[in-house]
Amino acid sequence: MIEEYVRDARDHLVARASRGSLAPVAYGLADSPFGPLWVAVSPRGVAVIHYGGRPDESDLERLVRTYGPGLVPDPRRTDAVRRELDQYFRGKRRTFDVRFDLAGLTPFQQKVLGATARVGYGDLATYKVVAKRAGNEKASRAAGQAVGSNPIPIVVPCHRIIASDGTLGGYSGGLETKRCLLDIERAGDVPEGGWPPARRARAQRRS
Amino acid sequence: MVSGPPRTFGELIERHELEIFRYALRLTGRRADADDVFQETFLAAFRAWPPPRRGNERAWLYRIATNKAIDNGRRSRRLVSVEDLRLAAPERDGVTTLDLAAAIRALPTGQRAAFVLHRVEGLPHREVATALGCSEEAARARVHEATKKVKEAMA
Repeated sequence: MIEEYVRDARDHLVARASRGSLAPVAYGLADSPFGPLWVAVSPRGVAVIHYGGRPDESDLERLVRTYGPGLVPDPRRTDAVRRELDQYFRGKRRTFDVRFDLAGLTPFQQKVLGATARVGYGDLATYKVVAKRAGNEKASRAAGQAVGSNPIPIVVPCHRIIASDGTLGGYSGGLETKRCLLDIERAGDVPEGGWPPARRARAQRRS
Repeated sequence: MVSGPPRTFGELIERHELEIFRYALRLTGRRADADDVFQETFLAAFRAWPPPRRGNERAWLYRIATNKAIDNGRRSRRLVSVEDLRLAAPERDGVTTLDLAAAIRALPTGQRAAFVLHRVEGLPHREVATALGCSEEAARARVHEATKKVKEAMA
């Protein structure tokens, strides 16, 4: 019973802190086929989706640097993104309506992730293509790093970015997760080990 | 859980919400008052951020909570429900929790806070002193006096 009392008291506290602008960022857990996701929502939109039940240190550092210490556990403010993620995992959603927040990242990271966000459902692009769309075709390695440090996977679909040799590249949630996400979007059309060059162009054209 | 000082309000809440609520409930004896004291304590902590010294946020929170409970006690003089008393009362050595809770409730606020912090929450005298903003000797004296009164009430 005491736990119920504490839960209620926490809800009242968080509601008051949010009304009084003391707590600009809300966080909570979302369910996924890969286990819990730690999600954070700022006034600008979804700021973090992290594979795991606890926040990643670099994500936390970025949020505190951008918004100060006002991060509170608030399931209500994370409702929208949790609902959309659930629909996505069930194959019922192809685009996200929630806005996303890349504040605190470098301008280049923001450009690369902005380009990543424009790769459509089930489509693929290479790190090189994303670098070009971000305004620097020669910076594919840096683009790879920016994609690799994407703080909002799934909503900013970095799983749709593959290496130039057709292999899957890397993924913060693990390569198996990347493969599963592409499986959801491409109805299982994800060859073991990625796409050999001959099939890559065809795969990229598919939508 | 990550150690070190809390970096966010959420970390402070998650680390201390249960003990601060329990403490507020024991000081006020009533759920609604404990809820108020709990909220006021954390809101005051957020406004006064950061915690005063590395690793010392617990005593800091207890100190704020004690002051908020005293403020709350001045404002409200209401009846305490049996259910809340049962929760507020620590369970010890066969004495009925209701009797003990009533004895604690009868203590003056400063002694009640010292008693709950030391005897129930298990804080050493040094931390009780920090939480109550008094010397260690004064904290020791308050605990001693409160314990004597509670024993007399239970005899």
